[in-house]
Amino acid sequence: MRHLRTTLAAAALSLAATTGAQAQDKELTLCWAAWDPANALAELSKDFTAQSGIQMKFEFVPWTNFADRFINELNSGGKLCDLLIGDSQWIGGSATYGHYIKLNDFFDKEGISMDDFLPATVYAYSTWPKGTPNYWALPAMGDALGWVYRKDWFARPELQAEFKEKHGRDLAPPNNWNELKDIAEFFQGREIDGKKIYGAGIYTERGSEGITMGVTAAMYAWGMEYDNPETPYEMDGYVNGPAAAEALEFYKGLYDCCTPPGHSDAYMVANLDAYKSGQVAMQMNWFAFFPGIAKDEDVGGDKSGFFVNPPQNVEASTLGGQGISVVSYSDKQEEALQYIKWFADPEVQKKWWSLGGYSCHKAVLEDPGFADSAPFAADFLEAMSHVQDFWQEPTYAELLQSMQKRVHDYVVADKGTAQEALDKLVDDWTEVFEDDGKI
Amino acid sequence: MSDPVLQSAATAAARATPAPLAMKVRMLSDRAIAWLFITPTILLLLAINIFPLIWTVYLSFTNYRANQPGREVKWVGTRNYERLLGSEDIWEYLQATAHFVCWTMIIQVLLGLGLGLLINKNFKGNSFWTTVVLIPMMLSPAVVGVFWTYLYQPQTGIFSYIVNIFANVGPVDMIGSVDLAPWAIIIVDTWMWTPYIMLLCLAGLRSIPDYLYEATEVDRANAWQKFWYITLPRVLPFLMLAVLFRGIENFKMFDMVVELTSGGPGSTTELASINLKREAFEKWRTGYSSAFAVILFVTVFGLGNIYVKALNKVKQ
Repeated sequence: MRHLRTTLAAAALSLAATTGAQAQDKELTLCWAAWDPANALAELSKDFTAQSGIQMKFEFVPWTNFADRFINELNSGGKLCDLLIGDSQWIGGSATYGHYIKLNDFFDKEGISMDDFLPATVYAYSTWPKGTPNYWALPAMGDALGWVYRKDWFARPELQAEFKEKHGRDLAPPNNWNELKDIAEFFQGREIDGKKIYGAGIYTERGSEGITMGVTAAMYAWGMEYDNPETPYEMDGYVNGPAAAEALEFYKGLYDCCTPPGHSDAYMVANLDAYKSGQVAMQMNWFAFFPGIAKDEDVGGDKSGFFVNPPQNVEASTLGGQGISVVSYSDKQEEALQYIKWFADPEVQKKWWSLGGYSCHKAVLEDPGFADSAPFAADFLEAMSHVQDFWQEPTYAELLQSMQKRVHDYVVADKGTAQEALDKLVDDWTEVFEDDGKI
Repeated sequence: MSDPVLQSAATAAARATPAPLAMKVRMLSDRAIAWLFITPTILLLLAINIFPLIWTVYLSFTNYRANQPGREVKWVGTRNYERLLGSEDIWEYLQATAHFVCWTMIIQVLLGLGLGLLINKNFKGNSFWTTVVLIPMMLSPAVVGVFWTYLYQPQTGIFSYIVNIFANVGPVDMIGSVDLAPWAIIIVDTWMWTPYIMLLCLAGLRSIPDYLYEATEVDRANAWQKFWYITLPRVLPFLMLAVLFRGIENFKMFDMVVELTSGGPGSTTELASINLKREAFEKWRTGYSSAFAVILFVTVFGLGNIYVKALNKVKQ
């Protein structure tokens, strides 16, 4: 009996050692954009390696090349990425063309419930066709467009007095876009601490998605819809409706009056740089950057405040963020699913938030202490409750490029009117949907 | 083959060669051997040049999309061409390309010739200055595009600073202004590639025999007459060759401009090749972009042929 026990123990030990050695040999590659949350995820993933023995390798690409690089990788059936945190707009194409594996069976087997995640993030990051219970990703990084302002400048008594005299209200975070423009105009060209400053850093980038994310922040707030809710893809009168045109015109006004010189091709990093260098009083940017701003040596702490995208006719924020998917061309799908199972754990999600990632898990977001856990946490929750996203159609890249061209032509290059720009956009989009057989 | 050891080795090798093969090799004509040598090259050319060209022409008549492998490929006739030629945007891109090509060629030829004439003089430090002038063309166009975005930065860039020394106009936004952006890319291309034109001019200038100038001095020709009747005709073929090379390069300009302006503001500097890349690899309209590529190819090929004929006339 003793001999049998010894033999069994030795066998168990050698089995454990073999399994451990095999796991040590395994390596997963996770692809994402190169930004602060990616570094937080790399840190978080050390726990996964410690637990599973699977090494993690990361392929982080700058945002300007992010879509180009990874969409090409998917289209070519590349095996570079086992796990991909892809943009929400990619989900239609990736599901339709089989780039991602469907996760429903896996979720059922592992007891991962989408009810545990914020509904808006499940809808935006996981489902295709939209809103159906067909899941292609686990909500990984919640994000929305928000605003940051120089709280210390806003608090200066002389500026407060001057602003109140001019506008009859306190110099405070705006309640609508008109107020936002008033503030931006107030700061534009003003000298503070011997340095000339400007009103606001807004998105104007031409190459990838920048200006579209910026103008839609205004257009959603004006109540723009992409199509007739009763007749999908009927865009005339919606995308180019009066509210949308007014919003676009307003955005151009904001660009013309209140941005720093040379701010004609600016996206996340350019806005961050303008803000951190003390060049602008406000900037629009993704919530993902706010933890970094709050900790920044020059503008962090009490110097910066945060506010949700202001409403105009309705409350709305542009959606950012991504879900994590398993690439169907990967040879390591089992290990990749193991990672997703680990990542979906509420404890891991809590740590994810504490490291600077934006969890979408209710265990984190509905925690009573969440709103006070960071200066921007309450705003994040509010923003996520009314997010709107760009088209997630398989043809999203075409739709996006058309919008980039039309709105940049109008906002930055002064070409035509807002109405003409949006009319042309509807023509472009109609052609895309016709070619795709949707209309 | 006087070495007996080598001789015996060759005999042994000849004996070891199977008789029919040896016969065949011996029976090959010079022409057949020539074909044997050039066939691999021809096959490679067919595979990597001719076939893709024919395939592109075929795709231009379809609705093919490279990112949708399972999608049915339909023959759409001339629809892609009709859309392209009927699109106002395409004509704008071609206009922007023509503006860029024409102005860069005019300015670079004048500056390149001028620099060539200067460098051709004998002066102290001639070699050093020649090397210095050539540095820009040794850089990568993408790198040049990136660092000029810093030089053009309206508030901190040196370009705006220099302009304000001469005219107090405030921050000069070269990249963000619709009026200035087309000139911003022309300036950078000129900075980078004028040395190339200069180099070819220099080759032309140094090929002119001194006795020609001596003869004009006997005829008491002034400096202008020497330039007009001796220098220019002799340098012209070199200059035209430089224009041909640079013209083709600038017609397909991509990297430097993408880094500098991304085609903006709006579509002001969206050259044909930038739009082609967007259509082909961002929107994935493979059939449509193939048609655009064919149009650009025919344009460059046609213009190039006319130009080469003119060049040959000048040479004669």
